[in-house]
Amino acid sequence: MKTKQDFPSINEREPDGLKPDGTPFRVLVVDDSMFVAKQISQILTSEGYEVAATAGDGEEGVEKYKELFPNIDLVTMDITMPKMDGITALEHIMNFDKNAKVVMISALGKQDLVKKSLLLGAKNYIVKPLDRKKVLERIAQVLGKTSTA
Amino acid sequence: MQTNEQKLQQDVTAENGRQELVRTEKAITVDFKMVTFSLAGKDYGVDIMNVKEIAKASKFTYVPNAAPFLRGVYNLRGEIIPVIDFRIFFHLPAERKSEDAQENLLIVRLEDHVYGVIVDSIDKVVGIQSSTIQPPHPIFGDINIKYIHGVVENQGRLYIILDVNRIFEQKEEEKPRLISETPSGNFFAAQTAILEKEQPGSSAKASASELEFIKETLFALKHFAASPLNEGWVETRFGEWKKLRNNKELQLKNVEDADEFLGNFYSPCNGRLWDEDYAEKVLAALPDLTSKTITVWNPGCGKGYESYSLACILKKRYKDARIKIWASDNDLLAVSSAPNMVFDLESVPTIYHEYLVKGRYGYSFNPEIKDAILFEYHDMKNVNPFTDLDMIMARDVLSFLDPNEQIKVLNDFAEKLKARGLLLVGQHEVVPEDEWTRLGTEPVSLYMLNS
Amino acid sequence: MRVEYINPFVESAFNVLKEVLNTDIKRGELYLKSTTMPVLGVAALVGLAGDVEGRVMFDMSKQTALAVASTMNGEQLTSLDELAKATITELANMITAQAVTKLHELGFRFDLTPPALFTGDNMEVSDHEVEALIVPMETPQGKIEINVAIRERA
Repeated sequence: MKTKQDFPSINEREPDGLKPDGTPFRVLVVDDSMFVAKQISQILTSEGYEVAATAGDGEEGVEKYKELFPNIDLVTMDITMPKMDGITALEHIMNFDKNAKVVMISALGKQDLVKKSLLLGAKNYIVKPLDRKKVLERIAQVLGKTSTA
Repeated sequence: MQTNEQKLQQDVTAENGRQELVRTEKAITVDFKMVTFSLAGKDYGVDIMNVKEIAKASKFTYVPNAAPFLRGVYNLRGEIIPVIDFRIFFHLPAERKSEDAQENLLIVRLEDHVYGVIVDSIDKVVGIQSSTIQPPHPIFGDINIKYIHGVVENQGRLYIILDVNRIFEQKEEEKPRLISETPSGNFFAAQTAILEKEQPGSSAKASASELEFIKETLFALKHFAASPLNEGWVETRFGEWKKLRNNKELQLKNVEDADEFLGNFYSPCNGRLWDEDYAEKVLAALPDLTSKTITVWNPGCGKGYESYSLACILKKRYKDARIKIWASDNDLLAVSSAPNMVFDLESVPTIYHEYLVKGRYGYSFNPEIKDAILFEYHDMKNVNPFTDLDMIMARDVLSFLDPNEQIKVLNDFAEKLKARGLLLVGQHEVVPEDEWTRLGTEPVSLYMLNS
Repeated sequence: MRVEYINPFVESAFNVLKEVLNTDIKRGELYLKSTTMPVLGVAALVGLAGDVEGRVMFDMSKQTALAVASTMNGEQLTSLDELAKATITELANMITAQAVTKLHELGFRFDLTPPALFTGDNMEVSDHEVEALIVPMETPQGKIEINVAIRERA
């Protein structure tokens, strides 16, 4: 993944990863691939987010969310995982915390999966391969920050 | 050197001139055929028995630490063969083409080995009388004389005939081999015995050897294998061919000739929807079937015309049954266009109109017919899951397989069919009567598997 | 293999490789093969289920695997470690998933299983004969052969 250089702009803007009070947003990354987890973490941390924890399958993801609640601001969730898939994990997390912000990140882009996730409460759906700009925009959107002008 | 060569050429021409006179009194017997090509401006020939096919290719995977004439290896439909550049091998000047340029390849087979040979350009198949071949003269210093079988003049051109066995096997003291000495791994071994050095007097023998050569050319150029499957047609066609050509120039010199010879082999409505006449005949030949689902395998379906025709015929004949046709071909381009075929109403025989629906780009078959056929990119010689079939339709397919494959595939068919399953082959193809019972009459080659 | 399945695999392989390697990719001619043994050294396998049964195999040499993983991670990896392996399996996953997505749009119901990686050390010899479609892809990092063996569920 090539990271694009951000050129300093005339309008100095704060990294998307920081809350208005200056502390970073805390993200839980759920993906069974070490490579993807690393990739997402790199994208997030480069923009000021904090990766609070990672989980290698849906079950672990739900556990960690419950453990770290209410200090998780966002969850990135893969779909194809062993033990418990991402859709089921999403369901569990939403049942636990109806205000949870979960963004699906998957290589599968099937319409029915997208619909199902959104209906279950996911806030967005990103299809791999990952584009740094797209990932950051979507996540910023979900966290309520308006996109950079 | 030039003048000596010219003189030799003159000698050869003069000698052949003398032979011309002799020839007009007796029919010339072609008992040696070669594929001709050029290298550094000169004409060469290789015994057609050694040439498997010709190809154009550009990407050879480079093999490090190999001899300079080994340009690399080439993937010939899954088989990896070494590619030799004859120009480099013989130290001839070769034009350096760019990496991507296509080279002309002769695919040569010797015993169990297949090689690709790069030449400047491939010309045509030439048939000659082996007695006209002159021994190689040291004057041809271009190429080591041990690799030259001989030289021959034909239609004003001088061909240097290469001995590929010597080139690739480097055995000492090996006599250049004529066709009559080829080992019997060859399907036509029995017939080639006819070519023992004899007076080319008897017209029957001459005729038989002419036919043998035609069969070989058909295989080399069109991959049509004469075999018990189609020998009836081949014999008859040969008779017609002799009349057509007034008993002169019988040999097939190029692909166009081969196509002309094969012209009337193909089944009716080849490459198009079956016309009313043929469709009715097939319909009439089909026996009653009780299966609720009629499963059919249609290998060699090509663009799919015959698959659609069959689907409609089967729907008509077996109104209450579900039809399922697996239509396959190993020609990717042809079969991938099959599922989305679109027609002009005028060009479709009326019998199919009830099965057509109008779409944006024209008429296509309705969903019921389309759902009945699954088009697959598949090589019928590979393993497949088809079993317990009601019918197999392989029109004009078996004749284009290697002779030993024909037997294997026919046996495979018998195994894949239900008891008393149906087999529809080409109009001029015949299957063994001890295993199959013929149901259809000309032109419908419908057979039933004996239980 | 049904002709409708071919393009989605070919296109996905092309698109994903082009994007993650950020370079020009060339596709070789498609052909059919009768056995499905991996031949180059490293193989990633993704299972398929649903309307069909079978699998997709991504076959490449160790060198190529290392070069591809390095490019995808933006750093030179020196051995086929956990990260490199995870990268190759993710590549296999992305290509197969994109193909499955395209097939879904065409009306075919496929599902994929999480991928597995086999290297020269633990290749299993399977003499189960199946016909496979080979899609050879040429990348600057080396050749990747995509080997698809699927058949309709009866």
